[in-house]
Amino acid sequence: MASAVAGFAACLAGRIAGGGSVDLEWAPTLDMRLELAFDGLAALYALLATGIGALVFAYGAGYLPLHLRHQGRSKRDARRFWPWMVLFMAAMVGLACALDLVLLFVLFDITAIASYFLIGFDRERREARGAALMAMLVTGIGAVALLIGAVLLYAEYGTFSIPELFARAEADGTTVAAAALIAVAALAKSAQVPLHFWLPRAMAAPTPVSAYLHSAAMVAAGVLVLGRIHPLLALDDRVLDGLLVVGLASIVVGSLLGLAHDELKQILAHSTISQYGYVVALYGMGGATAAGAAAFYVVAHAIAKSALFMTAGAVTEATGESRLSRLGGLWRRMPALAVASGVAAATLAALPLTLGFFKDELFFAAAVDAGPPVAAMAVVAAALTFAYIGRFWLGIFAGRPGAEPSRVPALLVAPVAVLAAVALAGGLVVAPFARLAEAAGAVTHGAPVVVDPAYHLAASAENLMALGAYALGALILAAPRAREVVVAAVARAGDVVGPRRIYGTSLAALNRWSDALHGAEVRDLRNSIAAVLVPTGVLVAVAFIVTPTEGVYQVGEIHHDDAPIVVLLILSVAAAVTVARDDGRVRPVLALSVLGFALAAAYAILGAPDVALVAVVVESVVTLAFIGVYSRLPSTEPVELVPPRRRRRPSRNVIAGIVAGITSFVAIWAALSRTSVAGGDAAEQIERTPSAHGGDVVTVTLADFRGLDTMVEITVLAVAIVGVASLLRRGRSW
Amino acid sequence: MNVVVDTIAPRLLGPSLMVAAAIIVKGYTDVGDGFSAGVIVALAISLRYITLGPELTERSLPILRYAPVATSVGMLIALGFGFAGVVAGEPPFTHHPGPGDDVVKIGTLELITAVGFDIGLFLLVTGALVTLVHHLAHLVEEVGP
Repeated sequence: MASAVAGFAACLAGRIAGGGSVDLEWAPTLDMRLELAFDGLAALYALLATGIGALVFAYGAGYLPLHLRHQGRSKRDARRFWPWMVLFMAAMVGLACALDLVLLFVLFDITAIASYFLIGFDRERREARGAALMAMLVTGIGAVALLIGAVLLYAEYGTFSIPELFARAEADGTTVAAAALIAVAALAKSAQVPLHFWLPRAMAAPTPVSAYLHSAAMVAAGVLVLGRIHPLLALDDRVLDGLLVVGLASIVVGSLLGLAHDELKQILAHSTISQYGYVVALYGMGGATAAGAAAFYVVAHAIAKSALFMTAGAVTEATGESRLSRLGGLWRRMPALAVASGVAAATLAALPLTLGFFKDELFFAAAVDAGPPVAAMAVVAAALTFAYIGRFWLGIFAGRPGAEPSRVPALLVAPVAVLAAVALAGGLVVAPFARLAEAAGAVTHGAPVVVDPAYHLAASAENLMALGAYALGALILAAPRAREVVVAAVARAGDVVGPRRIYGTSLAALNRWSDALHGAEVRDLRNSIAAVLVPTGVLVAVAFIVTPTEGVYQVGEIHHDDAPIVVLLILSVAAAVTVARDDGRVRPVLALSVLGFALAAAYAILGAPDVALVAVVVESVVTLAFIGVYSRLPSTEPVELVPPRRRRRPSRNVIAGIVAGITSFVAIWAALSRTSVAGGDAAEQIERTPSAHGGDVVTVTLADFRGLDTMVEITVLAVAIVGVASLLRRGRSW
Repeated sequence: MNVVVDTIAPRLLGPSLMVAAAIIVKGYTDVGDGFSAGVIVALAISLRYITLGPELTERSLPILRYAPVATSVGMLIALGFGFAGVVAGEPPFTHHPGPGDDVVKIGTLELITAVGFDIGLFLLVTGALVTLVHHLAHLVEEVGP
């Protein structure tokens, strides 16, 4: 709470001071920079993240103890809540200021991770876990598109810096594809059709999380990215048209589903989809008017939506009911909340005297610029918004009394009242919000933007459109029967062919596939071995097919001096054949150790005593392990359990063996054909060994040149011991 | 268990300790380091575990009780030799005496920091492997053959 207020104060101070920027090298070898700037766009989103954050935190301080008590959990569970909220806020502020695509990606993912833990806060509930995973997967996979886009741009222009990209970018195929990929990531984050399905599920989160996630963090991050990279999107009209279509589709789908649902938070969730649809559509229209309008829209929506979510939470806390059909007539019992949330709802519905009126005025103005079809769509969209939010507010506070409310802490109502006051103040004196939107719009548009909303008592296009929207919205509200038929049909269609079904099916299929593969792998020892050998063999074979092989394979000559090695190698081959063919118990083990020691001897002869020493030690360990295991086996086989003749599957075994054997043979042959002492590190270490007072390169390398590596390795060994002790012996050290 | 193994296992510990000591003492001039030395000692001890069983082995060699201690001490020694110089502003694993300086020698043993690191390494590896064998052996005893 204190951190949020301090952050808000800092952002406000930064805004007044005119911003600033930081540019630090972060990973210079990868050309990544910590490039942050507190410009207009950053100011807008950072102020939202911290300002709304402060109110949400205050609300959460009242809400969370009640929530934990309802669930019968200890108060200490709050410790798993606040750190993530603070991280969420910090990541959002960072995201607002980031001017580097990689930094943008990292912070984008941090918000996803924080939201994962917050949505899944009620971890005992299955749907909360599923919702958290879904949000994480959809936005996380989307974020990969952002990274791919960033890398494409880097390959083309050699920089991750967004301002530099603006200066260099040209409208060619790669750039447009990269911009479209980044837009996909942003749209997934902002829950736009067809990637919207995660957001309603995310309502499993505690209410403060929902309020914050929907208004100022997470979902806002998507449109923030769109606003940040808009000049790249504007390079190609097809990208903008795509945005416009997605935005308008989201408005319609979100609004209709918002009308269909009965659960308070579900209505608001679909409203969020629809509202960000407006912003995306504005970005799709392009141009100065739309850029300013989009920024303004984000502010107005954030204020209204967070207030409405907190209203829903407070009502549910008071009555224990979360469904609209069970609620009603609460305005007598909770007048303060009714008035405050009424203002918030009016803001969302764009009634005059609230900040929301101007958001629609600007939206209509931009829509008129974009042509009559878009303008007509805009009126329909605004009417739907009017209808679903009217249904929401009237359903709770007006009509027949429903569930009886109990008293709720003042902390659950006060933040709503503060937000309502801000929305009202904005409806009277809009200039500060307009300046904020102008600065943000200027960043998006790349040129100065004028945002000058005001009340004009004239028959202007915007006013007529607003009146038309109110009338149409009231009509929808007044005809519940027809409305229900339509929205129920839409909701059913969405359930049958909607993207959530695709997500569920593909996730289940992936799971089944993975289970089947794992089951096959661990079914028996043969499969486990084959699972390592065969893919390795195939990969090596593929590598050989695609690399040139000319001059790589050389057949050397055999001299008389080589006789011992030849003998040892023949012995090894004989031992290997014995291991493979013998059915006994002890003979294969002994043959295995013969094989190992013969190879160790060959190393020693070839002048690699260090390798020989290690080989001897390893062979001893292996042989000893076998002896240890055999010493535990019964000395006689139980007579009644004589196994039937071993089932042979020669074809598969032979194929696996041949694939692995031939490819490793080919790989080793190729390596031996090029036995030059590698330059660089190895040569330098050989040269410097005497200066380390050493005679043996390997020893000196292990303990001196690469001492740090050795240190890490033995640390791993020590950690492994701790792990074994705690797993097998309940942590006893001896 | 085989008579040959039964006879050899108890008598192998002395020679293997000797080999390990030799590997460390001859220091940097020849093959092998603390890691191999540690594995050799641990091998001889685990052979005892196999032939005599954990009870008898640990009664006949009470010093094995200190294997976890050896692991920690070895870790500290290795860390000390590796990072002590960091306090004085040197990079980790700086070599003392430096290149070209004279080295104190006791026989073939050279007194340089890297050899000290090697001794820590030896203690850690021996202790860790013996602890591992101990835990596994006792697990088998608890579960039963």
